[in-house]
Amino acid sequence: MNLSTRVYGLLLLAYPPEFRQEFGSQMLQVFRDSYRAEARSGSVPSFWLRTLLDLILTAAKERADRSGTKGIFMNRRSDTMVLLVAIGIIIIAVVIQRYAMRNNVAFILLFGYFLDALIVSGVIGNLIVFLLNKTTKLNPLRTAISVFAAVDAALLLLIVVLSSVAPVNWIGVLVGYLVSYVTWVGLHFAWRMPNRNQALNSQP
Amino acid sequence: MTKEKPEAWLPLTPAMFHILLALADKERHGYEIMREVDERTEGKMRVGPGTLYGSIKRMLNDGLIEELDERPDPDLDDERRRYYRLSDFGRRVAIAEAERLDKLVKSARSKKLLSARGT
Repeated sequence: MNLSTRVYGLLLLAYPPEFRQEFGSQMLQVFRDSYRAEARSGSVPSFWLRTLLDLILTAAKERADRSGTKGIFMNRRSDTMVLLVAIGIIIIAVVIQRYAMRNNVAFILLFGYFLDALIVSGVIGNLIVFLLNKTTKLNPLRTAISVFAAVDAALLLLIVVLSSVAPVNWIGVLVGYLVSYVTWVGLHFAWRMPNRNQALNSQP
Repeated sequence: MTKEKPEAWLPLTPAMFHILLALADKERHGYEIMREVDERTEGKMRVGPGTLYGSIKRMLNDGLIEELDERPDPDLDDERRRYYRLSDFGRRVAIAEAERLDKLVKSARSKKLLSARGT
């Protein structure tokens, strides 16, 4: 089993357990067959992009179907606040990163991988999360957990591909992405908890 | 339990209609369905594994397709593959959807959006 198939096998964890049990091995086999064909035609990156988009959208849908929930709706105020906080974190990270690079601040540059992951994953992940929250009735917290996992996995895969061009400090990259994932999911978790409690308390 | 009238399922999602079309002439496994859709649409419609099996799950539940108990040609194929075929009800739904689309195309033609030859 090649690396791509192993990664896809891990990403299947985004689907609900029953769905995975029923169709997981079939999906993995279809992925393997498709990957072989795409590798022959040399279009692996676009294949991965399509596959990840398909995974994000369908995993979220299967989870929503399974829970039978209409999702916890974001109200406009909550939506705006979490968006502003996310933009604020990204801007602060960019400013710190530029300052450290311009002045060669070694202490901050130690966290360079984390800042890179925080910025790139934050921009792409939050954009997808907010689009999904605006256009679907999925649970926002579950959406954030799945989307950031998929985005980080895709970015790590891209780094694997690019590692043949430039050397990569794998420990730094992995720790950076892990901390970035915890930060973004933590932000969405912290923001959703009061809403969730309100929703639970309002049930008869 | 399936609804009696095929029209109750319309309009089908593009993915579901393409899967029903792929199964209209013969039973196929998942990858074969993907390839058939890809070739028939000249790469314009590509069904990912999630969309494919999400649709298959719903169509199995609704009785539009059936899973085969035996593989069509066990000597030539991987035993882990699962094959699907159109049910009688699924065929009626596919026909109803094709007729709906046909009416739509005729309307477009009457409004001069399409020429008589369909170009």
